[in-house]
Amino acid sequence: MGIETENQIIEKDMRDLALKLLTNHEVDVIIGYTKGTIPLSSSPIMITKPEEVDKLVWNNLCYVNLAKYLVPRIPQLVDPEKGNLKIGIIAKGCVGRALIHLAVENQIDLENIKIIGIPCNGIINRKKIEKEVGEKEILEVYASGDNIIVKGKNFEQKYAFDQYINELCKVCKVKTPPSIPDLMNSCMGECQEISSVEDSFSDLDEFEAKSSKEKWDYIKTTLETCTRCYACREACPMCYCNLCFVDQNKPVWFSKTTDLPDIIVFHLIRAMHLAGRCVACGACSSVCPMGIDLNLITRKLEKIVKERYNFTSGLNKEKLPPMMSFSMKDTEDFMLEED
Amino acid sequence: MDQKILMKNEIGKFYIELAEDYNFYAPVNEKGIITFKKVLNSGGIVLDYLNSKVPPKEILFPKMEVLFEYKLDGKEVEIEDRKDLNEKNIIFGIRPCDAHSFILLENFFGLGDTPDEIFLKKRQNTTLIGIGCNTPRTTCFCTSIEGHPFNKVDFDIFLVDLGEKYLLEAVSDKGRELVKKFSWLKDAKKDDLKQAERLSKEAEEAIVTKLDLSHIDKVLDPNFDHPIWKEISEICVGCGTCSFLCPTCTCFDVIDETNQYNNKGRRVRIWDTCQFCLYTLHTSGHNPRDSCIERCRNRIMHKFSYYPENYNVLGCVGCGRCVQLCPVNNDLRSIIQKINQIENKKKEAEKISA
Repeated sequence: MGIETENQIIEKDMRDLALKLLTNHEVDVIIGYTKGTIPLSSSPIMITKPEEVDKLVWNNLCYVNLAKYLVPRIPQLVDPEKGNLKIGIIAKGCVGRALIHLAVENQIDLENIKIIGIPCNGIINRKKIEKEVGEKEILEVYASGDNIIVKGKNFEQKYAFDQYINELCKVCKVKTPPSIPDLMNSCMGECQEISSVEDSFSDLDEFEAKSSKEKWDYIKTTLETCTRCYACREACPMCYCNLCFVDQNKPVWFSKTTDLPDIIVFHLIRAMHLAGRCVACGACSSVCPMGIDLNLITRKLEKIVKERYNFTSGLNKEKLPPMMSFSMKDTEDFMLEED
Repeated sequence: MDQKILMKNEIGKFYIELAEDYNFYAPVNEKGIITFKKVLNSGGIVLDYLNSKVPPKEILFPKMEVLFEYKLDGKEVEIEDRKDLNEKNIIFGIRPCDAHSFILLENFFGLGDTPDEIFLKKRQNTTLIGIGCNTPRTTCFCTSIEGHPFNKVDFDIFLVDLGEKYLLEAVSDKGRELVKKFSWLKDAKKDDLKQAERLSKEAEEAIVTKLDLSHIDKVLDPNFDHPIWKEISEICVGCGTCSFLCPTCTCFDVIDETNQYNNKGRRVRIWDTCQFCLYTLHTSGHNPRDSCIERCRNRIMHKFSYYPENYNVLGCVGCGRCVQLCPVNNDLRSIIQKINQIENKKKEAEKISA
């Protein structure tokens, strides 16, 4: 069900907390979401003045993973005089997971960050709705009861909320940010204690039942429209390398053309780099201008990591992720799998 | 008479007569995305579309283009030039904003002592058959840059969707020559012209985004170091969506690829954008556009200051693609309003101090 009915309460609590943090100078800036200028969108916003907290919104279109703005590549959050700013961040579950995982990888210091946790019940799959509506301009979108209402000139359509949220949101088990036991003060608003998740990964059954050739065909047809604008990479909170492997040119490792093999190499290697790190926020798919949905690829990796190493990213600040640790007991059998 | 009537069920006939001599590009729906493709029959052509995701610039300036291929034989180098440049193309069903972008692309690729022959030759061999925009989007703003949803001046042949039929008008000499082929086209009646005029007016009224771009180059020029650039770039994540899908962006990168096992190689041009970290990165390691702030500024400056300075015309056609597709909704319309306010704020401050 959409959060149209209760979001006013969530928004009010969120704004109150943001106001308190800013007026008490506990933080210098609040990173949150504001209303988008077009339907089916929202926009990240950075608020420094207490009187601007009313610009903060929370709804089922807040698809950007705000943790992206904390990674060192984005320079705005450093004040030349004060150094690193103290930050308050509006966090749904996957933003919270990203923050914890970034802390595990020593990219951010959670001591300087106040997490304003909010419950999320799924992000509307904007690309799927755009495709359904087709060549008619969407003028208004909102969640109402169990439906997403889409309005335009001379038309109004209803889509079942459960069906038209991101595929990753449908199987999400971490709706609010996980709390961090030794930093209880850093998480305000709604956070939850969660040490592990049970996941059947049954959503992958259909894909896994396919033959190798069918899987390969799926990957090819999914990726063929990619323009290599790298919106997926730039929106990903875990893609923070100063120089991405695909941009390295001394020497050139991978070709940058849009020949299908080159596109596939980029996406599959990027996916490999996200194994055990992806926090399943779905931002990569939400932002793709060509409507490419990468969720099956990342979801499959999540499953492999969970099965082999019993690890889920972004839940625990103390547990080392599989790609950052080595054990003689690590299984290697998947390397030899045919599919 | 230059105005004819093409019935909707005659599109197939129209296509067949042209496809003999031309590569026929038209908008088609592929997996829910409108895109310009070389079509092999008229069945898939979609003309009642909003606009294509990727602008039709990709037909003449594709996201990846092999400039030439070469073979090595000992010390001999054999260069294989492009053979397709003399082929004739028709781009069918494109919108007035995108047709106008072709003029801007020609400005860029034709400039200076070394014009880009590949682009120009293809452009020369291309005929534009466009269609008026009956239902512009709320993000469209072509009328703010002296364009119009029914602007036909940039076309060879211009169509207007009249419901059951199209009003077809030859605009250029090239267009008139082509229309002669179709002796079976009936002349348009007065009522058809009236209806087209009415649709044109309705479309113009449907454009709700009105931007004041009259002084923007004057405002931008002295405000290169204004703090507003930090504000504008604050949420930008640095992807290439706005520029890759912009019909007027022309930056490209050139790569040489060698295949040492069979002594072959090729030179490829791919789209590049000022939003990427490698753009203008010097060999020394220095980059004059080191962060999103300089990169966002460059995109705006290029379109609304440098371009008018070099070519006396704005480097934007008002199609609204960047507005629709920016991953973080960093809306160009808001950016322009913020820039216009720089001067207003200055004036207000002067008033107060006076």
